[in-house]
Amino acid sequence: MIELQGVVKHFGSLKAVDDVDLNIEKGERIVIIGPSGSGKTTLLRMINFLEKMDDGKILLDGTEVGYRRDKKGRLVLEKPEIISALRSEIGMVFQHFHLFPHMTALQNVMEGPITVKRESREKAREVALDLLGKVGLMDKKDAFPAFLSGGQKQRVAIARALAMRPRLMLFDEPTSALDPELVGEVFSTIKNLASEGMTMVIVTHQMGFAREMADRVIFMDNGKFIFEGQPGDLFSSHMENPRVKTFLKKVL
Amino acid sequence: MLAGTLSLLLSVLPARSARAETADKPDRYELLAQGTRLVQDGNLDAALALFREIPPPAPGQDAGAFVRARMEAAKILFSRQEYDESAGMCKDILAKLPDNLEAKNLLAQVQAAQTPEWLRFLKDMKTYLPTLLKASGMTLLLVLITMVISPICGLFIALGRISRLKALSAFFWCFIWMFRGTPLLLQLFFIYYGLPQMGVTLKPFTAAIIGLGLNYSAYLAEIMRGAIESIDAGQMEAAKAIGMTYWQAMRRIIIPQTYKRLVPPVGNEFIALIKDTALVSTIAMVELMRAADQIFNATFNIFILVQAAIIYLVLTSIFTVSFRKIEDRLGVYENR
Repeated sequence: MIELQGVVKHFGSLKAVDDVDLNIEKGERIVIIGPSGSGKTTLLRMINFLEKMDDGKILLDGTEVGYRRDKKGRLVLEKPEIISALRSEIGMVFQHFHLFPHMTALQNVMEGPITVKRESREKAREVALDLLGKVGLMDKKDAFPAFLSGGQKQRVAIARALAMRPRLMLFDEPTSALDPELVGEVFSTIKNLASEGMTMVIVTHQMGFAREMADRVIFMDNGKFIFEGQPGDLFSSHMENPRVKTFLKKVL
Repeated sequence: MLAGTLSLLLSVLPARSARAETADKPDRYELLAQGTRLVQDGNLDAALALFREIPPPAPGQDAGAFVRARMEAAKILFSRQEYDESAGMCKDILAKLPDNLEAKNLLAQVQAAQTPEWLRFLKDMKTYLPTLLKASGMTLLLVLITMVISPICGLFIALGRISRLKALSAFFWCFIWMFRGTPLLLQLFFIYYGLPQMGVTLKPFTAAIIGLGLNYSAYLAEIMRGAIESIDAGQMEAAKAIGMTYWQAMRRIIIPQTYKRLVPPVGNEFIALIKDTALVSTIAMVELMRAADQIFNATFNIFILVQAAIIYLVLTSIFTVSFRKIEDRLGVYENR
């Protein structure tokens, strides 16, 4: 469905993402792990154009999208309207939720369909209520984010992304900012989503994601994929790669 | 027959009055003259006694000596601050001659002197308050129009300032630099007195609105820019992630979150604005300050300025309370 080819991103002299290829198939659940600063979040943000790549290609259903080359041959992002339209098909969940604090849970979920998709208020409300029910927050529909717990906020954020009916969901460390006892509720919400066949890419430190819902696990270090395979292989005792081994020893 | 009666009357009347005068005149005018000499000698008590002895004239009698005597007595009593007595003398005169201007004036002075300060203040207020209130209407109008214009212009300038287009940003930087960096008074002078020399003549009201509007737009723009930039960058990203354009995100997500943060500094600006409208009195606008100044120059009554101060205080207090209320209402989504 979405394919990244030879993607490169520099931050100054640092190569955050170094010539990476990634093919995401429909219905696939990819979990990306790796130490901090390994480029996983940057890679994720490039998939929905929040980060501009320096080189490479992004293909959607086999067509190159999002970038064109200027006269000097450098990559530039397409017009904002084109980028916005692409983004509206890709949901994103952030580590720090970024709910809209001046809107209730319900309004947060309705906002995208109304403002971006120009749907009617009634229809948007119906969809939003349905999604809030799905993430188990029907009773909090009229609460402002400031009155919700971290886990509840993240579940509203998931519902907000789903309201756009995305083809792909990106999760950027969705449980890292949560108190340990709140991780479970967000984890099971994402797991339910996975069981419904949603295509998703999850960047996480939580090994549970890799073990329980990944079709494919990618281990990233210094901007490169240094392991890519079945979760079973990652956790097997035959793992040869010393970097992966030390990392897993630390986090498990 | 008729002519006979008339001639009889004419012959009788002057004869009668002449007889009455000749009977009294030396006595009363003599007393008056004696009293006046006593006053000149400084013997006020004796003079007062003499003046009081002169009886009121009988009907038809000449009132001249009586009026003079009572008037002199009233003046002496007034200078001794014996106000009730003095007023009594004036009233004696007015009982005989209700239109005597001299007595009326002195009575008014006596009564004014008898009135306590606070009561005098209230009386002055009754006299001048309508004028001052009418003029405050203009002050309020200037404030309200500027309060509508400057946030709208300010927002556009703020958005221009944070624009990625360098030229646009630089242009508005210059605008803010000029209008925040020079006195409002100078700007008003330039618009009202300077522009006509370039062929643009403005009415005082128009000039005042333009001057206040531009100046306050510049201030509000900087406040708004600060508020917009203080919103967490994650908000813009989250809005973009659900497919919003920059402008949709600004309109729906970023700017609404600045409202609550804007209220305290913008409230401050608007309170300063109420006071700054006094400056337009220099370009021929009649508003509260100008009206108070005009009355003060005519009367030298310091209470006029106190009254104007009270009106300004009432206006600023209403604003302070209103902005407090608005801030509380806008904060409902915050957990406190």
